[in-house]
Amino acid sequence: MANHETGGLAPNQDLPLLRIRGLGVRFGTFNAINPLDLDVRDGEFLTILGPSGSGKTTLLRAIAGFQTPSEGGIEFDGRDIAEMPINRRPFNTVFQDYALFPHMTVRENVSFGLRVRGTGRKRLNDRVDSALGIVGLEELGARYPSQLSGGQQQRTALARAMICEPRMILLDEPLAALDAALRRQMQNFLKSVQRQSGITFLFVTHDQSEATTMSDRICVMRSGSIEQIGTPRDLYYRPKSKFVASFFGASNIIEPCEIIDVRNDVTSVRTPVGTFAVAGPAPEGGSGLALAVRPEAFGIGNGKPANQIELTVVSVSFIGSETITELKHRNTSLEFKMKARSDPAAIPPAPGSVLTVGFDPAECALVSGDTG
Amino acid sequence: MKRLRLLDVSLASVSFLVYLALYLPILLVFVLSFFSMRRGRVRWDTFSFEWYARLFSNESLGEALLNSIIVGITAIIAATVIATLAALHVNARPSSRSARMLEYVIFLPFLLPPIITGLSLLIYFREIGVSRGLATIIVGHAVFVLAIIYRIILTRLNSLSRSLVEAAQDLGASRLQTFRFIILPNLRMPLLTAGILAFALSFDETMITLFLAGTDGTLPVRLYAMMRVGFTPEINALITLILGFSIVLTVVFAFAWRRSGGIDNNRITRI
Repeated sequence: MANHETGGLAPNQDLPLLRIRGLGVRFGTFNAINPLDLDVRDGEFLTILGPSGSGKTTLLRAIAGFQTPSEGGIEFDGRDIAEMPINRRPFNTVFQDYALFPHMTVRENVSFGLRVRGTGRKRLNDRVDSALGIVGLEELGARYPSQLSGGQQQRTALARAMICEPRMILLDEPLAALDAALRRQMQNFLKSVQRQSGITFLFVTHDQSEATTMSDRICVMRSGSIEQIGTPRDLYYRPKSKFVASFFGASNIIEPCEIIDVRNDVTSVRTPVGTFAVAGPAPEGGSGLALAVRPEAFGIGNGKPANQIELTVVSVSFIGSETITELKHRNTSLEFKMKARSDPAAIPPAPGSVLTVGFDPAECALVSGDTG
Repeated sequence: MKRLRLLDVSLASVSFLVYLALYLPILLVFVLSFFSMRRGRVRWDTFSFEWYARLFSNESLGEALLNSIIVGITAIIAATVIATLAALHVNARPSSRSARMLEYVIFLPFLLPPIITGLSLLIYFREIGVSRGLATIIVGHAVFVLAIIYRIILTRLNSLSRSLVEAAQDLGASRLQTFRFIILPNLRMPLLTAGILAFALSFDETMITLFLAGTDGTLPVRLYAMMRVGFTPEINALITLILGFSIVLTVVFAFAWRRSGGIDNNRITRI
């Protein structure tokens, strides 16, 4: 079974590159970030994911130095940087609005970090050429930002942040302003740049699919606290809370849920719609539990004999490769969604008909409820 | 349809009258700087540059004009430096107590009747034993134009995305480098606008100057003094010259504005 704490990766022996301890940010009486701990490993792509107002951008700004933390410490490569001025911090930022300097050409923008450090002309030109090469903007060095497309502005901002060869780059929702197709393309591009350069990326987004495709690990935030950290697979298959379960794909949530037995690494729970077996040990703090089942885990005849429910079909929607069936429980009127690969030979069940659907004990998770 | 045309015609004639009222006196002055007049009629056969020649030999007017230019430029430079520093502070910490204080302190002299500002400065200078002269006029004008320069610069600073400054610092720029490479280049146009506007204000400021002028007066003060003994026709030449200078300045300014302002706006809104 995957290890919850390290998110399934082999534990890193080295110190984390970035080490955050008890970091909190308060605006007046409002806690934007409750004191939290976070480790970022050298060379990983870590995404801070959360809805707006979850404190993810504030956390990034505190790391970058734009926001003074109310408490706690930040260590980078073993050095305390909590009090370090912004311009001395050994990493760079890609801003949500790119923040390209409007009065400078692409070349001048990219070279800015070297220029303020007084780098010699020859070395500066070589470095700028290589950075523009990495982002594929060799031809556009003389353009002004206003003459670039959104994707090109994004690439310029990335080249500018990489020019000083930082060990870590902070990215604040850099793809939010791009259209869907370009965003997909930039996701692959960012990921490949990160892999080839080995630079640690700390990426902030509210887009769950973006986080899932790009990240080595994801840190889910909610109301100024970290809800769960893990690999994308971990968060998808082993969510710890209802919040994470529903944030990562629409889960079927069955609650309230009461543990009645734990035996041989299988936990039995009682719910309003029946008694089910769940693989794995029971989570600590057994109250306020819910059972989360992915729509694709449901299937007709699955989970025999333990995890089966009789449900009434409400509607069937065919969306190409998949068919989504909406179901309802007769007594509790709890609603369920079942997603299955479309079968050309199957006759879709008529609304009102009763199906016996089930799920595998390994394909569901016990999660904490709202208060957890 | 017909009624609409009638409306158009009457609107056009009203506009014509307004333009006439605005520009006829100026036109008259322009004409009179080249021709002489007798019994309410312009004598078209008297074209000459005589009044211009007399103007340039009139030492008291020439000196007054020079004083106006010296006062204007010096006061603007002083006020621009102070206004820029104040605007930078207010832009960086808009909600601080010092920022709110600054807003009031800078705006008060602009809102106060000039007679109060002039009188207060006069009393102040006398109490600290500074005799009246160009220096006191410069201080008075600097105080007066400070608000307008401050406002123009602050507006531009506030419209600059904060992330530009953050990006510069993030890339390792010190505060001074951020100002030099990021803020200042984006302030070029507003500084020019503010300078021209402030110069125009300073050029015709009379009330404060009256209190603060010693023996060296600026042009408006000089003209005011001349009114008591009656104007000589070289006044027309002077006004025509100033008018011509203003028109050239306006055209140059409009051209510069369109060129850099156009690109500027485009860049700012797209990023």
